Amino acid sequence: MLRQPLSRALALSPSKVAPLAARKFADQVQAQPDKVEVFINDKPVYVPPGTTVLQAAAQVGVEIPRFCYHERLAVAGNCRMCLVEVEKSPKPVAACAMPVMKGMRVKTDSDLTKKAREGVMEFLLVNHPLDCPICDQGGECDLQDQSMAFGSDKSRFTDIHFSGKRAVEDKDVGPLIKTIMTRCIHCTRCIRFASEVAGIDDFGTTGRGTDMQVGTYVEKMFLSELSGNIIDLCPVGALTSKPYSFAARPWETRRIDSVDVLDPLGSNIVVTTRTNEVLRILPRTNEEINEEWLSDKSRFACDGLKRQRLVTPMLADSRGNLTPVEWEDAVVAAARALRDCPPGKLLAVAGDFADAESLVALKDLFNHLGSENVCTEQYFPLEGSGTDLRSSYLLNTKIANVEDADFVLLIGTNVRFEAPLLNARIRKAFVQKETDVALVGPKVDLTYDYTHVGDSASIVKDLATGTSSHEVMKRLENAKRPVVILGADQLKTPEGAALLAYTQELSLRLQDKLVDKEWKVLNVLQRTASQAAALDAGYRPGLGAQLQAGPKVVYLLGADSGLVTRDALPKDCVVIYQGHHGDAGAAIADIVLPGAAYTEKRATYVNAEGRAQQTLPAVTPPGKAREDWKIIRALSEVVGVRLPYDSLDELRERLAAVSPTLVAYGDVQDNNYFAQARALAQSLQKPVSGKLDVQLKQLEDYFMTDSISRASPTMAKCVQAVLKQKQSPY
Amino acid sequence: MQVVKALGASAPTVFSVIKKGGFAPMVDIIRQTHLPAPNPKERRPYSPFQDTSNMAEYAVARLDDLLNWGRKGSMWPMTFGLACCAVEMMHIAAPRYDMDRYGVVFRASPRQSDVMIVAGTLTNKMAPALRKVYDQMPDPRWVISMGSCANGGGYYHYSYSVVRGCDRIVPVDIYVPGCPPTAEALLYGVLQLQKKVKRMKTIQVWYRK
Amino acid sequence: MSNSIAKLLALDKISNFFNIIRQNGGIRASMYKLYRQDELKDGTLVGEDQFGNKYYENPRYFYSRNRWVEYSDNFNMNYDGSQVPAEWFGWLHYKTDLPPHKDPNRPKYKWMIEFTENMSGTTGQYVPYSTTRPKIEPWVPKPKSSV
Repeated sequence: MLRQPLSRALALSPSKVAPLAARKFADQVQAQPDKVEVFINDKPVYVPPGTTVLQAAAQVGVEIPRFCYHERLAVAGNCRMCLVEVEKSPKPVAACAMPVMKGMRVKTDSDLTKKAREGVMEFLLVNHPLDCPICDQGGECDLQDQSMAFGSDKSRFTDIHFSGKRAVEDKDVGPLIKTIMTRCIHCTRCIRFASEVAGIDDFGTTGRGTDMQVGTYVEKMFLSELSGNIIDLCPVGALTSKPYSFAARPWETRRIDSVDVLDPLGSNIVVTTRTNEVLRILPRTNEEINEEWLSDKSRFACDGLKRQRLVTPMLADSRGNLTPVEWEDAVVAAARALRDCPPGKLLAVAGDFADAESLVALKDLFNHLGSENVCTEQYFPLEGSGTDLRSSYLLNTKIANVEDADFVLLIGTNVRFEAPLLNARIRKAFVQKETDVALVGPKVDLTYDYTHVGDSASIVKDLATGTSSHEVMKRLENAKRPVVILGADQLKTPEGAALLAYTQELSLRLQDKLVDKEWKVLNVLQRTASQAAALDAGYRPGLGAQLQAGPKVVYLLGADSGLVTRDALPKDCVVIYQGHHGDAGAAIADIVLPGAAYTEKRATYVNAEGRAQQTLPAVTPPGKAREDWKIIRALSEVVGVRLPYDSLDELRERLAAVSPTLVAYGDVQDNNYFAQARALAQSLQKPVSGKLDVQLKQLEDYFMTDSISRASPTMAKCVQAVLKQKQSPY
Repeated sequence: MQVVKALGASAPTVFSVIKKGGFAPMVDIIRQTHLPAPNPKERRPYSPFQDTSNMAEYAVARLDDLLNWGRKGSMWPMTFGLACCAVEMMHIAAPRYDMDRYGVVFRASPRQSDVMIVAGTLTNKMAPALRKVYDQMPDPRWVISMGSCANGGGYYHYSYSVVRGCDRIVPVDIYVPGCPPTAEALLYGVLQLQKKVKRMKTIQVWYRK
Repeated sequence: MSNSIAKLLALDKISNFFNIIRQNGGIRASMYKLYRQDELKDGTLVGEDQFGNKYYENPRYFYSRNRWVEYSDNFNMNYDGSQVPAEWFGWLHYKTDLPPHKDPNRPKYKWMIEFTENMSGTTGQYVPYSTTRPKIEPWVPKPKSSV
């Protein structure tokens, strides 16, 4: 299906074809040829040659109806809805596939065009069932809208009593996507998405004419972490969301722009709610992060927000069982525990979903109490520059720029499952720009070909010191825009510091040689949405040493990774858990303070590239749950060290004082001081010998990674379906 | 409630389910603000405030009794006739039901009235006006929601233009069911409101503060 | 004949007045009844229900006012219409002329519950509760010890 570059189709190694550099520069240096003048409805427009008629029309604000055409997918030209009249052309032409020619005169609302559209609509509706009242796409259906706008007002379809409309058997493609294939109009958007973006070649068409069917050839689940996007792509109701089926109509829902926190990229989302209930999550276009895609976990784990929730404060009674109490009792108990504890024995641990506001408030509270023991669950080596320099823990290249890379080296990370949309970017670069990818770490399926260098940590050392004889070394050195991505998971091993030092060394060595001085090579891919903000706020990464010290009071801010266990704590230790899900953290707690999930509060999250974004409240927190920073603020007052902010705005001023980047919404700053970080890391370049391993190797590992997705029934179904698919012979 | 309690003995699961579904806190609230269930065999005292512990409290409770007696004896309703219920509302003013004998006299101005009878379908368009009239009433003020439409949208619950219950706009004290309720039912509602007014603790609350 | 003369002179009204006061137990008792019920009538006692409410009838008054209830003294000033039991309600509203205790067609089954008055505003009141599944399922902590 996918048109691959010739070189790859012929399975030639890129080095044999032409040096990457030459190709890259050929693109850039080549002078732009003159623009072509075309007329859309007699309006002149200048566009570069190669532009399609449809794009040219869009530039003057003329929307041409389409079903199969999609900006981010290859042109198929098979729905014929975009037919327009072109002067001196005997037939109407498909605007989406027709490149402009000099002096072309396009008429988008001539009689011929209108008649052509009406004809296409009529043909489409001959076999499209009129079950709009029970169709989940109703209200957001392209076919509905366009038949209203461009269709004919009468039908010539009379055959209903004889053979009826075409009926197609529904396919089973997993627990996320519901298929009603009779509604399919064969636009092939889903097929193109699967093969181009998701990298799964399971979708295709069989038969021709009336017998044409879109499907997976054999009964097979759509094994992708991006599968939900074909629901958005489908212009009709053939592919709809299974968890959302028959739940609501688009016009009765409220849509709130927000930010996803289930992976470190901070994809932009729209939370759809009705009657104070999150119904579904859709992607929101942000070219710099997620384009218009969204990963399945972010999209479908929202039903986890309705289960296993903490809705009331709880206190352990004399038997150690948690019992619901009023806020006053819980806060007083927590405050007493905090106040009576010597500052050295306090410990705060921030989890995956902690927002910047509560992180800063909690740190302020602990600092007021005289404690510096505020940590995150994820480890990050403190040796060398540690977390002082932002450049050492962020994606410096930035997500969007990965597309422009010509060589990507992944070290100890399975990007596909740790940050699916970053992987989609790499795949986009791989497909469209012939970027090459190499991986150091366990062999995993990244949906595209890559050079597997090995899984030993010493390879990184060899690459960094330039002593490696692997072909990747040469290609890295020759690359004009290399990208090195280090998985943050590798840093928790004892060799993590050395590994980071080597990666910094390697990246900086490459960066120094680049012609493009703005290009950043070093990237560290964090695993959680809270880590970047926590490190910005000055949290200490990792909690091994702090746990050893035997804390008397542990304050878990949504820490659910199971790193803090009862066994690791002294017997008389008081555990305060603040969060929104009853998971590992709440299970060991003595005091539970119910907080709000990311759909329920206005809060700041910093994504893996250091971009601060804010979520907006879509629903109210359930029961007695409250916004997290307010809980900490209230607690501080009872403890006796009143935090000096009463409103979110005042707290954000404090955030700005801690780090201005935390409140620079939507912006991402360029990181510098690479050289200093490198210099500080020089001493850490010790020999390494371990093997790199990643947590998420297979698709079934991907779905349930945090307290929200663990509570989600849909995600559980996904895991089961994937495991079942593994049993199947296909 | 009695039935639920009776059921609770034989079917503990039913009761625990009810308790789980956020029912228990509601019961707590009722225990705090409501009188104990009456025993038909016992003589009922005039005043609902019997558990006074000292002289001052006793005096204040009697003052409240006096105040409440005055208030309940002259409740002037603001008419808010919106639909067919309004016709039944007219009946209670007429001689057969004769609301005047309870000191209930219709006033045409919100500034002179104590209670608003929302009689009929409250539409989205009327809602701001209703709220405005309510806001213009002097404290203490009460609201009687009359008929299904005012109680919860009633027949027009699924209409695009109807407020699903006037309690979305104003706080309602008494809901009178019926479509429309008979004048008798409305009169009974007024009497229920009088009972409610009798329980008000204006001065006692002030004293406790 | 003497009756009609008395009527002409409105003497029967006077005799009724004294009759009413006598029947209600003297001047003090009549004043109390007036205070409680705003009304003073004479009539024949038809029956009494389980709460002690007394039901009277006097055909001299015009229809719709010739049957009435005098609430039990237990209710004091807190009487209200819902304290009339269902069976007497029928008699009071002319659904039947047979008072319930004389009506043979009123079987008492085991499943019939006791009549209660309107409990609104008391702890005995009916509180509606939702039977739909809650939108949010709360987390229920595992008990740590079964003791």
